[in-house]
Amino acid sequence: MAVDKRDFDMNEEYVPKYVLSMMKNLNMVVILYLTMVTAHSLSGYIFENSAMDFLMKVKRIPMEPWKLPMVSIGLYVCLLLLMSIPSRSKTRFLLKTIMELSIVFAISYVLNFSYTGLVLLIIADTMSYFSDMKQRILLVASIFVLYMLMDYDLLSARYSIISIEACWAYYNGETRSLLLGFKNILNSFNTIFFISYTIVLILTEVREKERVLDLNERLNLVNQELRTANEKLEEFARESEKAAETRERNRLAREIHDTLGHSLTGIATGIDACVMLVDIAPEATKEQLKAIANVARQGIKDVRRSVKALRPDALEAMDLKSALIQMMEETKKSTGVEIVYSLETKLKNFNKDEEDVIYRILQESITNAIRHGKADKIKVRIEREFQMLKIHVEDNGIGCKNIQKGFGLHHMEERLDMLKGSLSCGGDKGFVIDASIPIRWGTEEEND
Amino acid sequence: MERRTDGNHMVRAGICALLLLAVWMTASDTYKNLPGFYEDIIRIGVFSDSYWEVQNGYSYQILEDAIARFEKGHPGTRVEYVSGITKEDYSEWLSGQIMKGEAPDIFFIPGEHFNDFAEAGALKNLTPFIEGDREFLPERYYASAYEYGNYGGIQYALPYECAPKLMFVNKSILQKEGIAMPENLWTWDDFYRICREVTKDTDKNGTIDQFGTIGYTWEDAFDSNGVLLFDERGRECYLTDRRAKDAISFMGKLEELNKGYSVPSREFALGNVVFQPMLFSEYRAYKSYPLSIKKYAGFEWDCLTMPAGPEGSNISRLDTLTLAMSESTVHGRKAWELMKFLTGDEEIQSEIFDYSEGVPVLREVVESGGDFPLLSHAVEQAVVIPRFHDYDDAVAEVDRAVRNILDGSSNINMETIIQNRKINRYLKDRQ
Repeated sequence: MAVDKRDFDMNEEYVPKYVLSMMKNLNMVVILYLTMVTAHSLSGYIFENSAMDFLMKVKRIPMEPWKLPMVSIGLYVCLLLLMSIPSRSKTRFLLKTIMELSIVFAISYVLNFSYTGLVLLIIADTMSYFSDMKQRILLVASIFVLYMLMDYDLLSARYSIISIEACWAYYNGETRSLLLGFKNILNSFNTIFFISYTIVLILTEVREKERVLDLNERLNLVNQELRTANEKLEEFARESEKAAETRERNRLAREIHDTLGHSLTGIATGIDACVMLVDIAPEATKEQLKAIANVARQGIKDVRRSVKALRPDALEAMDLKSALIQMMEETKKSTGVEIVYSLETKLKNFNKDEEDVIYRILQESITNAIRHGKADKIKVRIEREFQMLKIHVEDNGIGCKNIQKGFGLHHMEERLDMLKGSLSCGGDKGFVIDASIPIRWGTEEEND
Repeated sequence: MERRTDGNHMVRAGICALLLLAVWMTASDTYKNLPGFYEDIIRIGVFSDSYWEVQNGYSYQILEDAIARFEKGHPGTRVEYVSGITKEDYSEWLSGQIMKGEAPDIFFIPGEHFNDFAEAGALKNLTPFIEGDREFLPERYYASAYEYGNYGGIQYALPYECAPKLMFVNKSILQKEGIAMPENLWTWDDFYRICREVTKDTDKNGTIDQFGTIGYTWEDAFDSNGVLLFDERGRECYLTDRRAKDAISFMGKLEELNKGYSVPSREFALGNVVFQPMLFSEYRAYKSYPLSIKKYAGFEWDCLTMPAGPEGSNISRLDTLTLAMSESTVHGRKAWELMKFLTGDEEIQSEIFDYSEGVPVLREVVESGGDFPLLSHAVEQAVVIPRFHDYDDAVAEVDRAVRNILDGSSNINMETIIQNRKINRYLKDRQ
């Protein structure tokens, strides 16, 4: 159905063109008819030895009979060619119209101004170029003036023109009437074609305008919807910006907590140990203090780096695995807590954010175990289970029955959430933390 | 794609331009100058018999001589003419050729049709040729004959040969009546006096059988009384002019002598009329042929100039055979050379005395001939009438008017005013 309708619409657009081409054909017939009959009558005058009478009567030398159809059809073909060339600029259009009118004038001259319907053809053709009513009326009016001026009776008053009636006077009364009558019928047809062309053209344009209006309306509607959607989007963007701000603030807090908290915990515990050791083993204490100083220095570095890039410094300098080992060894040294670790998988191909999270989770877990669990033995296991990286941290500390998620745990969860990972923790004899992170880089590890 | 349609339009525009060029060349006959179409042949339109209606057997002699000499002077150029067209058919034949687009490059035009062809636009305006040719001297021609080729102020033709009107006199009647032969510069009074004296009923049977004149028309009277009938452009008629009225009165007086009897034209040949105006060509024809002498065997005759009116002189009208160029010729330059040669070469022109009955149009040729003393004067003095569109029709109107005035019984002053108004209305309607 829809296809049919579109076909119908397209056909409608072609109706003016169809009428125009009918008009072109009709004019060809008219020109042929007029020139052939005139040529025949002129030849008749010559053949019947009344050329002298004819010349004396019309006081003018007509074009040679054989030239009449040739010249007029030649000019008409020129006209059709010219009409088939579209003109893009205004000057070109004007030039083209003037040339077309000149050719029409020449043809009319050959036809002794007995037929001026060609001007209607030009008007019809030119009209299709202008959609602006004002311009169109102006143009058509000016050509119409020409059309009226190109009348035989008017021109013959001033210039000597052979009337077609004088040529056709060669035929006897009845034949002449029939011939002239047929000419008038052709002329009327041309006028009818012209009028119907004008009507059809205007109708088509009105319909076209309606369609454009309709389309515009629909466009406006869609525009309105788009604007609402845009507003919503903007609002969302604002909200999301605020959320990002909050997140960043949280992250900053977390960083401070992670770096400074870890170092300070290590330092505090180390100093506690030193206090106890100082009297018994001053040498060990010295060693311990050195380790504590290292932790403090590391903490300073961490803070500096956090401020700078918010990234564990160790990760900047070495790969994840080494960074983890270094962190645990240093903790072991500074706190004296025994840390047993097994890293059963290669920790490569992680993105920086993943590395950060893994590092921080481990760091936080160890810190928590020492700070809150008061543990002196910590087991760490990092392994891969299918597409999940599992981090298991277990201590022998006091554990926790009712877990009150402090800043540390909370942050761990947040970080894991960002990587779509999960966290579980608990235990009353010692504390167990299990974190699992989905591995993004897929099958590569398996192939290794 | 865009580029291709653009190219397509350029091709269309190109075809259109070429087609326009071809159409223009066809319509304007320019194509005849193209290598494949060009022929270096000049065609002359001419009739077979004498222009002066006298069969002399030499119809193409002058032309043949001229062509031979012209072709010698212009190697490569051929001059052709179609023979066998009689003078009667000539104008019709020429019209047909013109309409067919096959008009000869130059052609002779009988005086009576010069206006028509000029009016129809069949003749080329010679002004550019005349002005562009320093060798061409119009003053070598008789001004009256040269004027003959002028229509509406434009020179369309050159004179080829001419013939003035002269008055034939039957000397036998004059001798019989004891009347002296008039002087060459005679007047209307002499003319009227002689006519009155000779018009009589010689055998006393109650009807007049000896007449003063035949064929003397109001136009002859107008010409010899200095009447200018129309203005230059044919917008006004001067029938109310005193000289015209005098001429009409004179015509009335002459006609009265015959007491209403219309003289048949054969009466002059029968020797019963004293005066008849005739063209010089007729005079020559009768003089040189035994046949014609036999025709006028019964009396002796001579010729005179036309009688002068009180305000005019002994002048008459000139009949001239002119040579014109076709409007559509493509051989303009050469055709002009040939025209100039035919009309302006002294040898060719002097052949007119040998092979034709007319008068050469070159003054020097006529005056060196010496045989006809009054001829040069008659041609020189011949009247040149302004010619315009429909001149012949206007003259026909005047003829009807003069007839009405002569036949009417009312006052001539009154009648001329009425008739003049009628003619002027006719001239106005015609515009």
